[in-house]
Amino acid sequence: MNRPCPDRRDAIVDTMLGALDARQAEALREHLNECSGCREYLASLQEQSESLVDLGREIGSGMAARQDRVIEALREIAPARSRTRLVLPFLGGLARTAVAAVLLLAAGIGIGRWTAPRPVDVEQLRADLESSVVASLAPAVQERVLAQVDQRLLTALSANDAKLRADLGWQVHEDLCLLAAQSRADSEELVRMKFGELVDLIEAARRTDRQQVAKALDQIRTQTGRGLYTLAVRANDSTTDMRN
Amino acid sequence: MDERSDNDLVQASCQGDRTAYAGLVGRHYGEVFLVCLGVLGNVHDAEDVAQDAMIKGFERIRQLRQGSQFGGWVIAIARNLSVNLLRSRRPAQKTLGIEAVSHEHPGESAHEDLQWAMAQLPWDLRLPLVMYYFDGQNVRAVAEKLDISTSGVYQKLRTAVKELHDILTTQGDTP
Repeated sequence: MNRPCPDRRDAIVDTMLGALDARQAEALREHLNECSGCREYLASLQEQSESLVDLGREIGSGMAARQDRVIEALREIAPARSRTRLVLPFLGGLARTAVAAVLLLAAGIGIGRWTAPRPVDVEQLRADLESSVVASLAPAVQERVLAQVDQRLLTALSANDAKLRADLGWQVHEDLCLLAAQSRADSEELVRMKFGELVDLIEAARRTDRQQVAKALDQIRTQTGRGLYTLAVRANDSTTDMRN
Repeated sequence: MDERSDNDLVQASCQGDRTAYAGLVGRHYGEVFLVCLGVLGNVHDAEDVAQDAMIKGFERIRQLRQGSQFGGWVIAIARNLSVNLLRSRRPAQKTLGIEAVSHEHPGESAHEDLQWAMAQLPWDLRLPLVMYYFDGQNVRAVAEKLDISTSGVYQKLRTAVKELHDILTTQGDTP
């Protein structure tokens, strides 16, 4: 078999699939008239295509029998479970589930005994029912336990919170008292210190004044004689009296 | 043939009506089987997986929100099951060198050769090829069922046809 032109292979497949527009199809037809390799390739692809369709028919001829086998197999499959619920609004969540479980268990045993034409394997039935009841109860019980844990956690947290608040208040009160006492002691000490400094300053000033006055009196005594000295002494005494 | 719509049949099947589900099987089994055949490449596996897919559809039918979408939904189940089976087998096939052995022993009749050659294609090329040639040669329908564009289907078909031809001619040239 001659080989097709590599750049025409896609167009040849496309024309077989009906994917070429009129212009492309015309161009390919002109090429096919001149190229035996591409003509042979197209013919071979058409033959392959017919074989594929034949194979599809052959396989499809057994379809009805296959469907029947599927439908037969479906008879042995349990249908999806019903979602119907027994509603007992006057009972709590866990109690309702427990009552439903007991009713289910009792109903299962009762129905089993009533309908069984031969002795029922009660243990097997009970085991099956128990496993189904456990499976149905597990989410409810889990939810209930989680709710209780949450509730207890919240209670513990709130108790801790109140105690913590009281402790904190007492601590703040203690700290404030201590701070006030310290502040008062500090301020008294400061006042005492400042008062002492003030007394010292006054005393120093008084000493300086006396020294200056004594010095002045000495000068007066030496310069102006006894009369003036007496006058100055009297003036000094009167000044001292005024200050006191 | 049940005249009810897919939606009605799905609603009845949800109540455990096997007859209604049998109607859905009759309506969609062919496409489910072709998808399995397209992915797996042999009739025997395709029959098994298509049956599993229809049974799973019955068991899970309450999960389907819109009954009118049953066809696409069950095809998706079939496709996933097929791909999973193919992936689970691939490591063992590679270890045992099954592909190499199959190259040495193609069938004798024309259709056996063709089936053998199709089995050599990658599944993502074989699937559109099977759906196109075995089910009415309608590119748009294949695109809708595979949820890809028509140009994507043409691209895959073009490659699949060329590769299939190469496999068959190479096999014919082999002494």
